[in-house]
Amino acid sequence: MTKFALGIESTAHTFGVGIVNFDGTILSKVNDIYIPKEGGIHPVMVKEQHLNNFRLTIEKALIEAKLTINQISLIAFSQSPGLGPVLKIGALVARLLSQKLHIPLIGVNHCIAHVEIGRLLCDIEDPLTLYVSGGNTIVSAFESGAYQIFGETLDLAIGNMLDSFARDANIPHPGGPKIERLALDASKYIPLPYVVKGMDLSFSGLYTAAKRLLNSKKFNTIYTLSDIAYSLQENSFAMLTEVTERALAHTEKKEVLLTGGVAANKRLQEMIASICQEHNARFEVVPLKYAGDNGAMIAWTGVLRYLSEGSHTIKNTIIKPKERMDNITIPWRN
Amino acid sequence: MQSSIERKQLIKKGAEASLFYGKWFNKEVIFKHRIAKQYRIPQLDNEIRTLRTINEAKALIKVKEYGLNVPVVYEIDTQKALIIMEYIVGEKLKDLMDTLKESDKLNYFRKVGEFIAQLHLNGQTHGDITTSNVLITPNKHVFLIDFGLHEYSDTIEDKSVDLHLFKRVLISSHGNDYLSCYHAFIERYKTIYKNNNSQKLCSSILKNIKVIESRGRYIKKSERL
Repeated sequence: MTKFALGIESTAHTFGVGIVNFDGTILSKVNDIYIPKEGGIHPVMVKEQHLNNFRLTIEKALIEAKLTINQISLIAFSQSPGLGPVLKIGALVARLLSQKLHIPLIGVNHCIAHVEIGRLLCDIEDPLTLYVSGGNTIVSAFESGAYQIFGETLDLAIGNMLDSFARDANIPHPGGPKIERLALDASKYIPLPYVVKGMDLSFSGLYTAAKRLLNSKKFNTIYTLSDIAYSLQENSFAMLTEVTERALAHTEKKEVLLTGGVAANKRLQEMIASICQEHNARFEVVPLKYAGDNGAMIAWTGVLRYLSEGSHTIKNTIIKPKERMDNITIPWRN
Repeated sequence: MQSSIERKQLIKKGAEASLFYGKWFNKEVIFKHRIAKQYRIPQLDNEIRTLRTINEAKALIKVKEYGLNVPVVYEIDTQKALIIMEYIVGEKLKDLMDTLKESDKLNYFRKVGEFIAQLHLNGQTHGDITTSNVLITPNKHVFLIDFGLHEYSDTIEDKSVDLHLFKRVLISSHGNDYLSCYHAFIERYKTIYKNNNSQKLCSSILKNIKVIESRGRYIKKSERL
């Protein structure tokens, strides 16, 4: 009999529910996304919305999968890392369902789930992954039993940086896609800080410099918002591409996976594709529907972990807002 | 007449540059060519490549003055972002990690520690210390290469960053050897500082590594300083 897993993603602004079968077929994916009216993502506001909408989101996912809740045989949820109050909602709902239905429960790391859904959907074995989103900027690959982090941001995540700049420029949330469109109309490049430390990156100085350009007298006279958007993208994406290339040369992996919300950016895709061609590596972008946060990736990673080490007890499902992906063993890849 | 400078085959395509084997007035040399990156816009790319080429050549010349093992620079061409330097016969420490005897391995890490300590004591940082950038010659000499991110700096912060990055590389690439190798490396680093009567500076640098780590992402509140 086919078994089904229901995954709950709740680390930030997305409350996602996905259903997969144990062979890795995705049956449904439903997201409820918090969009701030102004400002950034306030954890308490997000928590409120998730608490109000979780039931409906789960029901929609079941309808899409043409299943009833009683046909589910595993509950997986995002246990780490993320915003504490938001993680708690996912954990709460997952524990409740597991207890009510008398089925096993498993907590998974959100960053690892991004890699695993990519490996499944792109049919890729052992990639170097560039994971770029609002909350994370990580270059990771599997080495000695874990998803090691070769490079990461030392301060802001790339998506966070772009969104913050967009807010300063009065561009409504989400800013990333709008910055990408604005950049297409640019006519000049404005030099900005380029900070690479080994395989790590820093975006805070770049962000401040770009923000200053908005308040300069030259703004809208010598250069436009499009020019800043273009320069900001060119600069930050070149930094990302450089560290990815360094990690690729260092690890000598033969495949590169691009994932996370910022993976949707065509310019970034083009740049990463270029280094893959240089190093004869296969390049894959996780299908955009599954590159951003979603419940299907949680469900699938839950299946992998459950099949290799069994279920978690309630005690083991305490949320871990600060857990790093390189601290977790990956029994299904050994 | 045959040209006295001859670029022959490509031997390594790195992230930063392509390395070609060749001859320079009958000497065996490496052509380190920072080839234009297609992914970067030319304005940004030219600036980075020129800057790093000048930076690296200057650093190699300076570091050689202290008697440390780095390739000799023969010629640079900033237009082409090219450095012609001495060809070092040797293997990357990274590739030897699985085959070396434990005692030899630790000895190499001690030598790297000595190298970096001398660099730091002279007010400089390497910027990208990895096991890929350490060459071991058949005579067991340790050479450091790849000085593109080298900086002149006398701040504690920059030196700690240098050590922190090396620690990270050891954890991610050589997890099983990390503890013993890092220990050998850092103990020798300390000894060199001690011989220089700079123990206090050394302990500030090492203490600051913890500060850098505590600034990292996903650090538990209890582990923050």
